Amino acid sequence: MATTDKEVKELIKREYEHGFVTEIEADTFEPGLNEDVIRRLSAIKQEPEFMLEWRLKAYRRWLEMEEPDWAHVGYPKIDYNSISYYSAPKRKEDMPQSLDEVDPELLKTYEKLGIPLHEREKLAGVAVDAVFDSVSVATTFKEPLAKAGVIFCSISEAVRDYPELVQKYLGSVVPAGDNFFAGLNAAAFSDGTFVYVPKGVRCPMELSTYFRINAANTGQFERTLIIADEGSYVSYLEGCTAPMRDENQLHAAVVELVAMDDAQIKYSTVQNWYPGDEEGKGGIFNFVTKRGTCLGRNSKISWTQVETGSAVTWKYPSCILRGDNSVGEFYSVALTNNYQQADTGTKMIHLGKNTSSTIISKGISAGRSSNAYRGLVKFQPGAEGARNFTQCDSLLIGDQCGAHTFPYIESRNKSAIVEHEATTSKVSDEQMFLCRQRGIDPEQAVSMIVNGFCKEVFKELPMEFAVEAGKLLEVSLEGSVG
Amino acid sequence: MKSAPTLSSAFLKPAGESLPQPLLALRKERGKALVDMPLPTRKTENWKYSSRHLKLSDELANSLPAGGATTDAAAGGYRIVIRNGVVDASTSVLPQVEGLSVQRFADLTDEDAAELARSLDSTLDTRATQMARLNSARFEDGLLIRLKPDTVVDQPLFVIHEVTATAAGSAFPRIYVDAGRHSGMTLVEEFLSSGDESAMVDAVTEFTLADGARITGVRLVAEGQNIQHIGATGVRQLRSSRFESHCVGFGGPLRRHDLRVRLEGEGAECKLNGVVVTQDKQHYDNHTCIDHMVPNCNSEETYRNIAADESHAVFNGRIHIHKDAQKSNANMNNKNLLLSTGAEIDTKPELEIYADDVKCAHGATIGQLDDTSLFYLVSRGIARREASVLLTMAFINELVAQIPVEQVRNSANERLNQFFDDAFREA
Amino acid sequence: MLSIKNLHASVEGKEILKGINLEIKAGEVHAIMGPNGSGKSTLSQVLAGNEAFEVTEGEVTLNGQNLLELETEDRALEGIFLAFQYPVEIPGVSNLQFLRTAVNAARQHQGQAEMNAAEFMKLAKEVSKQVDLDPAFLKRGVNEGFSGGEKKRNEIMQALLLQPKLAILDETDSGLDIDALKVVSDGVNALRAEDRAILMVTHYQRLLDYIVPDYVHVLAGGRIIKSGGRELALELEERGYGWLGIKDEEAAAN
Repeated sequence: MATTDKEVKELIKREYEHGFVTEIEADTFEPGLNEDVIRRLSAIKQEPEFMLEWRLKAYRRWLEMEEPDWAHVGYPKIDYNSISYYSAPKRKEDMPQSLDEVDPELLKTYEKLGIPLHEREKLAGVAVDAVFDSVSVATTFKEPLAKAGVIFCSISEAVRDYPELVQKYLGSVVPAGDNFFAGLNAAAFSDGTFVYVPKGVRCPMELSTYFRINAANTGQFERTLIIADEGSYVSYLEGCTAPMRDENQLHAAVVELVAMDDAQIKYSTVQNWYPGDEEGKGGIFNFVTKRGTCLGRNSKISWTQVETGSAVTWKYPSCILRGDNSVGEFYSVALTNNYQQADTGTKMIHLGKNTSSTIISKGISAGRSSNAYRGLVKFQPGAEGARNFTQCDSLLIGDQCGAHTFPYIESRNKSAIVEHEATTSKVSDEQMFLCRQRGIDPEQAVSMIVNGFCKEVFKELPMEFAVEAGKLLEVSLEGSVG
Repeated sequence: MKSAPTLSSAFLKPAGESLPQPLLALRKERGKALVDMPLPTRKTENWKYSSRHLKLSDELANSLPAGGATTDAAAGGYRIVIRNGVVDASTSVLPQVEGLSVQRFADLTDEDAAELARSLDSTLDTRATQMARLNSARFEDGLLIRLKPDTVVDQPLFVIHEVTATAAGSAFPRIYVDAGRHSGMTLVEEFLSSGDESAMVDAVTEFTLADGARITGVRLVAEGQNIQHIGATGVRQLRSSRFESHCVGFGGPLRRHDLRVRLEGEGAECKLNGVVVTQDKQHYDNHTCIDHMVPNCNSEETYRNIAADESHAVFNGRIHIHKDAQKSNANMNNKNLLLSTGAEIDTKPELEIYADDVKCAHGATIGQLDDTSLFYLVSRGIARREASVLLTMAFINELVAQIPVEQVRNSANERLNQFFDDAFREA
Repeated sequence: MLSIKNLHASVEGKEILKGINLEIKAGEVHAIMGPNGSGKSTLSQVLAGNEAFEVTEGEVTLNGQNLLELETEDRALEGIFLAFQYPVEIPGVSNLQFLRTAVNAARQHQGQAEMNAAEFMKLAKEVSKQVDLDPAFLKRGVNEGFSGGEKKRNEIMQALLLQPKLAILDETDSGLDIDALKVVSDGVNALRAEDRAILMVTHYQRLLDYIVPDYVHVLAGGRIIKSGGRELALELEERGYGWLGIKDEEAAAN
């Protein structure tokens, strides 16, 4: 494959295509986090008292916590006081009441990203909440959703408009003291998405949030809460991008899902935060806590993620299978190239009877990157008849990268069954020769073989995202053949 | 943050001053490094599941006295008794084989002892096996086994590690095997005990295999329920050597074995088998680590655990393929049977891979007896209990059958039968 | 069309081909026979551009163009097709996707418009019938879980789709029962055309009952030691390789 060196060098120079910066007037807090900052943040958001109290309590607790160091990643120490905890596009009035009032520069940003916010656009059928730095700038399709009884709004709005729901469920899945980054988020979360699907409602369209970090030296701490009431169904997807900057930026989000009896939540992520340049400079630190509780009987939570971005990823979307017969799923593709580092996986905690979970993880390492799967499957004594199946496959491209598997399997119920398999392979010379003998160029051959490797996961994505994911993989892999 | 508990200084007072000077010096140096050593806690990754079973009361810091009753260990062939960490020459049958030298540490010349002192601990990952470091500060005697090139020993060499727990205390047995080019032998280590006081065994065995050496290590851990057992085995393999390990372990208040194999020469291969059964409130924790450091090495690992009652079995297997160790083949398989809902099994099969042209796979399962098979046997008129025993035995038979020493197979089977009788007593 | 002059090639420093000379004209079918280890497969791999083999001497031209300086994929685009003896599996990549990518690479090279999924599906279904493969195979992963015979039929189907100038068939008959052999042979015979050449590499003459060659060459010890017509193959079947003064390693082993 040495012959492709030239093309490879050309391709390496290709830039991250979402790396532009939007020139927009913004209100940005001076760097640093303290109780004053939290009070100001809460005041700007006109939050009720309980919310401020919750944040302050979380903050005090966070001060006592230690940053985790067990993941298979390395990064320079983060100075949490050098980060600005709030940045929002300046607005003439308080809040845009409709898309027409949203700053045209912002709309253009989303157009560039391929996320048209205008409801008539080609993404019709997908409702979008767009989060720009610290605030939600627009939520589309509110009307038809409201007709179905579905609440889909920014979490800031939800705190004001549906305080009883927020108070009941916020932190119920990921408590403020859960871990260092979740604690920081609880204290400083700026915005995010809130979804409530009432009893028996099948959400009439895909819901989606598009996250964008724009401002320099800011962190993004969004918080998402999705509640699917009895017998309801919702499919939610999120996408993320950020400009290219030499400094690292922190993204510490929390996502909480709650599924009641017979409810189903399908949560898909295509994560394409700026990964840093080919020397490993810059990029997003993606330290995210995502967890769902299958609270009710026969409920189901399914996580699908395609992770290609970020300099460092620390992320374990998990399911707590509390309700009898509940189902948890985790389908993941994590691709690292250049100097990217990923430590990602899932936790499946089986508490209820006949709960079942499936984990399919596909890790692809290229360049000088490091890619680790870390997972926990746990059967508590009450998990009578519970099942788990795990398949972890790693694909290495080149001999300078690392691929690791750290599965923890714990069982305390004799009738529970777990099966775990892991393999490691490379794109073989024979496969490459076959493709090239059929006239397919090496870059395309690698991309095709890698896509084939990920197929089991891609088929879980909603159609429009599956195509995007495949392309994303192709772009992220460019330059890795050599 | 609260500071973690540290090793009591009482543990750093070794007995047995009759060792050659270089070994005494080594012990002293190792002891210094252990001052204020943090004890493993739940947060210590490689003791995550087992720290709660470790009970280092100060009385365990005492050295158990040499001498005492001899357990009836049936072993033919060459046989050496290490009682409470000290070689008992009077009950040992030392092999007289051309090219094989078996010496007590106490009998070594200063020159040999100096060379040994340089080699001790070299096969261990001292970071991972922190409790084994205590052995290096405390051993009172030991066995140095050296095989000259091309020496192949005709019969297995049995080492009976015996603890006589007539008083509380600890024993620190130590073995170092230096296998020359193309030499071969089988070393059987049996861990047994007598007496009822609480005691601890902290045993370390090291092997270095020169080019083409073929060594088999067999380990049977079957001390009484008053004995905590912490063992470490380290292996370094040079070109085209082969190491086989067969471990059979019976649970206790604390049972821990760290087995680390470093494949340092091309063409080296290892095969590691392990069987563990636990019952009542027993515990057993096997940690293995195979380092593929150079290209073209093979490793094959199979461990099976059975946990009954309220017992707790742990397996942590790790395969580390270093950069440039291309064409490595590594296979790890761990299957577990949980016989009771009060019991716990934790397993963690890890891969850490830094080379792309490799074939690595691991598989792990936890489950109970297969209903279909059980029904099949019962439908043929076999009582349910018998059928359960049969199937459970089948689960580990394959591994027991591979133990290349008949006496060990027999004694393992006898103990396993006892285990099955107990485990299925109410079924 | 294809001209091979004094071709030497080695693998891991060991010389396998020791001076091959061969001329193949458009419309001709050549068979290369020889005992195991004679270099038959090496020749087909070298022509297709497998980088595991090193060409140390000689030249190969295809319609006057120097083949040896082309990349594997460029040789394919120029019309070289190799039906593999042991086709590799590519999990997760559907046969359909794989074939369409290959066909479109060829079309693009020839300045033709790419085929869309529907057009291609129609074409692929027709061709799969020609080799008696259930169209359901198109949706399965490339060679994934295919039987030996299915893999071979899949190879011939690809040749029919890609319409190469020179089709090299490496032991295409091995592992086939008589019915499958007929299907595969029909496929190969359908490939015969005035502007196309076929080079068959085979150990046994059985295949030649179904695909009648114009020329037969015997390869031994890395050289072509005898050439002739169809009758040479029959003579080989009758008398073995021994009469040519070479030892059939397989025969010797038996």
